[in-house]
Amino acid sequence: MNVSDEQLMAYADGEADEATRTRIEEAMRDDPEIGRRIAHHRALRRALQGAFAEVLDEPVPQRLVAAARGAPAGNVVDLARARESARKGLGLRRWQPVAMAASLLVGVALGYLGWRSASPLVRSNGEVVAGAGLADALSTQLSSERTPGGVTTGLSFRAKSGDYCRTFSLTGTHSNAGLACREGGAWKVKVLAQSAEPPANSTAFRPAASADSAAVRAAVEESIDGEPLDQAGEIAARREQWTAPARR
Amino acid sequence: MSTNASTENIQEQIVALLPRLRRFARNLVRSPHDADDMVQIAVERALLRLDQWHRDARLDSWLFKILRNAWIDEVRSRGRLAKIFMPEEAGEHVGEASIDREVDRLSVESALARLPEEQRLAVSLVLIEGLAYKDAADVLEVPIGTLTSRLSRGRDALQAMLRLPEGDHS
Repeated sequence: MNVSDEQLMAYADGEADEATRTRIEEAMRDDPEIGRRIAHHRALRRALQGAFAEVLDEPVPQRLVAAARGAPAGNVVDLARARESARKGLGLRRWQPVAMAASLLVGVALGYLGWRSASPLVRSNGEVVAGAGLADALSTQLSSERTPGGVTTGLSFRAKSGDYCRTFSLTGTHSNAGLACREGGAWKVKVLAQSAEPPANSTAFRPAASADSAAVRAAVEESIDGEPLDQAGEIAARREQWTAPARR
Repeated sequence: MSTNASTENIQEQIVALLPRLRRFARNLVRSPHDADDMVQIAVERALLRLDQWHRDARLDSWLFKILRNAWIDEVRSRGRLAKIFMPEEAGEHVGEASIDREVDRLSVESALARLPEEQRLAVSLVLIEGLAYKDAADVLEVPIGTLTSRLSRGRDALQAMLRLPEGDHS
């Protein structure tokens, strides 16, 4: 008997109507493959629930409880403002732990990132700076170009500090996204987010930009001054070796 | 408008739903802090619109829907920043993947994060939040057939990425 995968899925989810249910249960007796496919669906559900169960046990931040109970009037209404302040707060909150995370990563990066020519990150005077390969890419590549070594440069912009900053991603055995700013003749790595597993070799599962690398995004939002550079702007900045021009 | 007593009662029900709202939000935005910001915005909106909630509808579905819409607004307002990201780039914060169990957990999370958004939300609502198909379809404002086909494609993609026991099922 032929049972469609959508029917099996509905059965596994407890959504099949009674006729379908009976049919599937009968079919299961003759064909162990059907039971196996159902078990498969259920295993996936368990894996997902297991992966996200911890959130439920975390203490809920007090600000959310207060919001649900109707925080004092005046605190609630202006959503645009709420969002704006949430965003600002987020930037401030994030720089600190992220900087720490970047320095934690140095040891890891030296050890096992799939970086052939040189380590992407080195420690210099207590700060994390781009190693030769990454620095070279940051200094010479235009956005969306990619070196054989696996550096892709993303967005370039002037930070409020006046320095040039660029986002990048590294592709190795692990993939990483980060933000580096040109300060004192070196590319200082401000943020580095690391993925836990190798990038899928299929382009069909490109991660949603909004979901990933929130740390990088938050750091950009926090530090960007005006709009990102366009290609002409990048070329001009590169000509000056990313040395910040004096403010007009 | 509702009486004070019943408003208070609903507020407590919302408090009880906060853990699940936070969990769903983390499948919209993976940074836990951003996710909590989204929950806060959604909860504030919900309280302003309590009169729009039909008492026979599930409170959780209604809140998930508000949360999703708040997130859509947020994404639009941040559209420009999408340019920051290049294909294949990464997700997790450094230092989270230190022990094996964590790695396991993260790989399921990263697999889910790699799904196209519409499939990710369908999977998240049905398989993680345990919503019935019709409620999940209502949250996403799509017909139920659309929901089941997204769910089915999302599942196939996850199976392929995670290679759970008894891998191939085509």
